[in-house]
Amino acid sequence: MSVPWRRAPFSRGRRRRWPLLLTLILLLLIVRLSKGALLNDAYALLSLPFWPGPAQSEWLRSARSVEDQARLQALASDNDRLRQLLALQRSNADKAVSAPVISRQSGGWWQQLVIGKGALAGVRAGQPVVGPGGLIGLVASVTPATATITLLTDPSSRVGVWVNRSRNQGLLSGSGSARPLLRFLDKDPEARPGDLVVTSPASTLVPPNLPVGVIQAVDANADPAPVAVVQLIAPVQAIDWVQVLRP
Amino acid sequence: MDLLQRQPLLATSLVLVPLVSLATPSWLTLAGAPPCWPVLWLLPWALADGRRSALLLALVLGLLLDAQHPGLVSLIPGLVLLARWWGPLRARRPAIERPLSLGLLALGGTALLNLTLMVQWLAWGWRPPLADGDRPGPDPALLARAGWTWQDLTTVGPHLLLAQTLLTALLAPLVCSLLLLLWKRADPDWRG
Repeated sequence: MSVPWRRAPFSRGRRRRWPLLLTLILLLLIVRLSKGALLNDAYALLSLPFWPGPAQSEWLRSARSVEDQARLQALASDNDRLRQLLALQRSNADKAVSAPVISRQSGGWWQQLVIGKGALAGVRAGQPVVGPGGLIGLVASVTPATATITLLTDPSSRVGVWVNRSRNQGLLSGSGSARPLLRFLDKDPEARPGDLVVTSPASTLVPPNLPVGVIQAVDANADPAPVAVVQLIAPVQAIDWVQVLRP
Repeated sequence: MDLLQRQPLLATSLVLVPLVSLATPSWLTLAGAPPCWPVLWLLPWALADGRRSALLLALVLGLLLDAQHPGLVSLIPGLVLLARWWGPLRARRPAIERPLSLGLLALGGTALLNLTLMVQWLAWGWRPPLADGDRPGPDPALLARAGWTWQDLTTVGPHLLLAQTLLTALLAPLVCSLLLLLWKRADPDWRG
């Protein structure tokens, strides 16, 4: 008699503990399979007041910035070396010469600027000239104190460019009007109004990827290849200072 | 060449032409085209000193102005033609010096000068047609040849020519009369 009396409460207790035990095992399994997710999260929540301050985070960000700059310099020098091997123009904005515009002839048969820096300041014929917004022309001739810039709108101007989006090459030709023409080399240039035009990395005259203008209209049926009208970004009529990019 | 021999310093005023061309302000342009300053100087000089002097100074002026522009296109042929045209008019100067006559002469002279430039650009920009059997599509070598194309000349050229001609003709009575007056005052032996 004594045995059933003793076994009955024990069995009832065991039966009551079974769900608890199963839940615990399930919980442990979840913790195990989730690589300690619940534990770690709980620990993070509990230890939040004791976390390290923002100083170390700033150090990390600063170190990342230095690393990025070093990598950028390495890439730039690598790019320069490769462009030199290919005899292409290199971009070097650090050696730019700032010069004031002292004469502006942008509406006649010759479309040119005269700037107040010349051979004495290191300006040489053929160097590209940029204004606020992008390329405006190339140095045509120099005197000791001045230089004459042939604008991109002058009919004698020819610069290799490409459409930034579609990477289609073309030749930007001055036409005597305020908007030069982009004569594509491909039959299907995939260009449309609004596309940005930049100097071509294949150009031997100008550094790569200088902004030039925005395509205003495309004549896809032009012969022998499509032609686009380009609105220059740099406002030649209003520019008072320019920069001559030296190699 | 009386004036040139008696007052050679007056001829040095032609140096002002390239300087004024460089300094032309934007408000003195018509549709972007500046006045034709060489015409505004050569016309009164030819009327004041005759053909030989005008021819000589047209040559000097052309050389000075050509130095300002890159390329082989020159102002000299046009200026020489103008000197040949305007020089003999010295004999009829009193009638020619009227504002309307000066304006009309400047109008014709500017148009002639611009036409000589256009002809030169056409000659330099002429491209041989593609022979039969050549590949279709643009030839990069031909595209890269700098200069005015026939299409540019026919679209932009007339607009530029008309604007410059009109502006120069409007300024001629004022500028040419003023120069004639100044030279007359500077030379006491003027045979006006």
